[in-house]
Amino acid sequence: MASDDIDRSTRLALYRSQIEIRLLEKRAYDLFLQNLVKGTSHLSLGQEAVAAGFATAMRPDDYSYCTYRGHSHTLARGSPMVGVLGELMGRRCGLMGGKGGSMHLTSVAHGVMGSYAIVGAHLPVAAGAAWSAQLRGSGQVAVCFFGDGTCNIGAFHEALNLAAVWKLPVIFVCENNQYMEYTPIRSVTAVQHPAADRAAAYGLERIVVDGNDADAVYRKARESIGKARGGGGPSLIEAMTYRTSGHSRADPARYRPPGELEEWTKRDPIALYRARLLEAGFGEGELRAIDSAVQRAVDEATETAKASPPPALEVISTDVWADGGSSWRN
Amino acid sequence: MDVVMPQLGETVKEGTVTAWHKKPGEKVMAGERLFEVTTDKVDTDVPAPASGVLARIFVPEGGTVPVGARLALIEEEAGAAAEEPRLSPVVRKLLDEHGLDAAQIRGTGAEGRITRRDVLEHLEQHDAPADEPRRMALSKIRKRTAEQMTLSWRTIPHVLQAVEVDFQAVDQARGALSYLPFVAVAVCRALAEYPAVNATFEGDSLLLHRRVNLGIAVDLGEEGLIVPVVKDAAQKNLPELARAIQALAEKARQRQLVPDDLTEATYTISNSGRFGTLLTAPIINPPQVAILSTDAVVKKPVVVEGAVVVRPVGVLAQSFDHRAFDGAYSAAFLRRLKQILESENWSAALASRGSEGT
Amino acid sequence: MAELTYRDAVAAAIAQEMERDERVVFLGEDVAAAGGVFKTTVGLLEKFGPRRVRDTPISEQAIVGAAMGAAMTGLRPIAEIMFSDFFAVCWDMIANEIAKARYMCAGQFSLPLVIRTANGSGSRFGAQHSQSVENWAMAVPGLKVVAPSTPADVKGLLAAAVRDPDPVIFFEHKGLYATKGEVPDGEYVDQLGTAKVLRQGSDATIVALAAMVPRALQAAQLLEKEGISATVVDLRSLVPLDTRTLLAETKKTGRLYTVEENPRLCGWGAEIASIVAEEAFYDLDGPIVRITTPHVPLPAADALEDNTVPTVERIVETVRRTAG
Repeated sequence: MASDDIDRSTRLALYRSQIEIRLLEKRAYDLFLQNLVKGTSHLSLGQEAVAAGFATAMRPDDYSYCTYRGHSHTLARGSPMVGVLGELMGRRCGLMGGKGGSMHLTSVAHGVMGSYAIVGAHLPVAAGAAWSAQLRGSGQVAVCFFGDGTCNIGAFHEALNLAAVWKLPVIFVCENNQYMEYTPIRSVTAVQHPAADRAAAYGLERIVVDGNDADAVYRKARESIGKARGGGGPSLIEAMTYRTSGHSRADPARYRPPGELEEWTKRDPIALYRARLLEAGFGEGELRAIDSAVQRAVDEATETAKASPPPALEVISTDVWADGGSSWRN
Repeated sequence: MDVVMPQLGETVKEGTVTAWHKKPGEKVMAGERLFEVTTDKVDTDVPAPASGVLARIFVPEGGTVPVGARLALIEEEAGAAAEEPRLSPVVRKLLDEHGLDAAQIRGTGAEGRITRRDVLEHLEQHDAPADEPRRMALSKIRKRTAEQMTLSWRTIPHVLQAVEVDFQAVDQARGALSYLPFVAVAVCRALAEYPAVNATFEGDSLLLHRRVNLGIAVDLGEEGLIVPVVKDAAQKNLPELARAIQALAEKARQRQLVPDDLTEATYTISNSGRFGTLLTAPIINPPQVAILSTDAVVKKPVVVEGAVVVRPVGVLAQSFDHRAFDGAYSAAFLRRLKQILESENWSAALASRGSEGT
Repeated sequence: MAELTYRDAVAAAIAQEMERDERVVFLGEDVAAAGGVFKTTVGLLEKFGPRRVRDTPISEQAIVGAAMGAAMTGLRPIAEIMFSDFFAVCWDMIANEIAKARYMCAGQFSLPLVIRTANGSGSRFGAQHSQSVENWAMAVPGLKVVAPSTPADVKGLLAAAVRDPDPVIFFEHKGLYATKGEVPDGEYVDQLGTAKVLRQGSDATIVALAAMVPRALQAAQLLEKEGISATVVDLRSLVPLDTRTLLAETKKTGRLYTVEENPRLCGWGAEIASIVAEEAFYDLDGPIVRITTPHVPLPAADALEDNTVPTVERIVETVRRTAG
């Protein structure tokens, strides 16, 4: 390892977080095949390191915003597994009681201020949360995760510009998994790095990081969060990674050139991290224990979520307004 | 349609048009004043024979023509038959509520339409004279009751019989309950012994019902009478029967009865007691053959074992269908009823729990 | 009581609320240093400083998105969208995000924000700067919709909107900015979801909104001379909707007219008409008639614009023709 700036417990936390995401996403996939998860789901298999790296560097009262590919970020901030699985399966125990679904996972108690299904919509919202923290002087930061495709939508530009001009404590993290839905990002973007090559347009530093190296992500996260917290303004970080599954459940990803998936699988973030930990002297048994504990937790959460009933029909008309109701007339 | 010179008298041969009330091209409604005619005997306003447009006038004002001559042409609009003019929802509602006829109201709206104001003004004007009879629309229930009662009275030879009952035994046990459930229990018991009273007359035979479905008449005030039915009343003990009657009456008052609640009664009890009456001759509900009226229970002096004592006394009167059975049979039923009411262990009956093995 | 212009009432309401609650902040284009392109926010920057009153770039999505982010994290933002036509530029933020966020997260956060905007025609700005789009907002569940017609209502309803815990879209009418009216002194808060009966009549009930309200009142005065007595109701809020007043006032006369500046199809009056037809059918003495701008974009020339949106003459003529 390059240096010992990351302590033992942080390393274990980074490892555990990635394992949790991996095993839960795999379970989500299985449940979909069993038709227990309905609609659509966007998995983060292969992208665990970005979520783990940033979440580990954040304070509990920091805000995170992510896209519909947000199970990883939701879990990484500490949201309960049963809440995530329950929401995917449309059960009463879901994080939002079945009202939001896979694409909108929210747990304000853990700082997860929503997962957003319209590409780019949450970037200005994250900027707003950062503005709020700045105004209140709370020292909180907002971290905003989005994909490479987002870098081409209008709201990206507006949010980056505003954040830069107002020097907001927000970190914009582009998870460049090479594909904008089914299309290679390079073929629809005027620059090579859709986020990093645009940083200059906002007076920001060009930052590209290996998104499959949890330590590298963690270091960059720590640095940019520290900068924002100290009043140094926003950052735009492009994390290079790869998703091993399709864009969504419906996508078998046949648009990938032959060999690409295999190449990236060799660079699987968890395999990489495990090898590094073992090399650094962590015990095989210690890591296995984490693996089993997480698997047990996923299994328990699965059973609990399966046993949870569907939401009561009454909730159809609740929570439009702050008073809990939905009435528009007297 | 042709407009012709009418025959205004037996010997009248011709007439003169003195005035046209419509011009060519104007709309006209059947029955509306169209023109004025004078003959040597009479001046008359003549209404249009059809609705439509007054297309042409052939005989101008002042023209004299023989009876039957064509005066004008009305081009009828398809479907423009002079039915009722269109009434708006609120006008219909007001007419209905006050039992008025559209024909009574003068319309001042567009094209002679009756407006809301027209009806309200009519009501104001016609409210004033105190001796004018006021029409009151009858409820659906009342109308139906009228039909049923008429049918019953017309087809069933009614005979009335009554007994006086000492309700002392009931009084001592009943607490807050009314007399009705006790009478109901006694009726069920007595009907078991006098099955012809719980039957339907079918011309050449009497259909004896095994079940006792007790109709309990409920008064809904101005709306009328309704008779919900306690099914299988004979299977219920006193507390159960009391509850069932109570529940049905409540349901009736809340207007929540369903068709099933109102059918298949085999015998009816009409409880007039709370109106304070001495005696009522109720009308049988076909296809039943009898009905019992329970009137007021009041404290009266009676003779018991040679002494005059004060007892709560009430009259039970049964109207029965004389085609089904005779006075002796009915009287025996009533005597049994009286006997049960006066000598049953009502405290024990009240305390009983659950249907007794049925 | 003081006499204020409609535009001054806007600034007065914002100042009142920002004074009262330090969480209230305000952002928009040209709103701070310039006091607003319609001069509706003059003096706020000076009074409350650049932390709480902020000029933004031309970035409608960022403005409204930032308001959402701030509202979900403890602030009570007021965002200005200069022309209501520009809602189309940031409609994702308003309709997909703000309107639905609380529902989708099952109440984990609320969004106590106000988006205020200049709505309506009469300024000869052409089709893309003159629309009345209050019906767009009414059609999306999760948005409260307000459109005042007087300075007093501006003050009271904007204050109420800021204090409301839910997203409120506040439609000011640019054609009314210069109008004057009496406004109560001191702290003044009105109530959302309440209509006002401005004139009581017996033959017809005319329901109007914003700039159509004074026209309805003028028309009622003229109709009175012809023997037609009209009630005029200022709806003030589309959501929540004061259906009680609507139904009660319609029942009194039996005739309902709406006067709407929005284009014909799916205008707010269509919903009113539907509610009344369903719930007061047996009290109607004639068909419900909507008086609206025809279903065309607004032309620019003054002679054209003035005759597209309902005029006093058109209101009078329509009621007269159909009231019998």
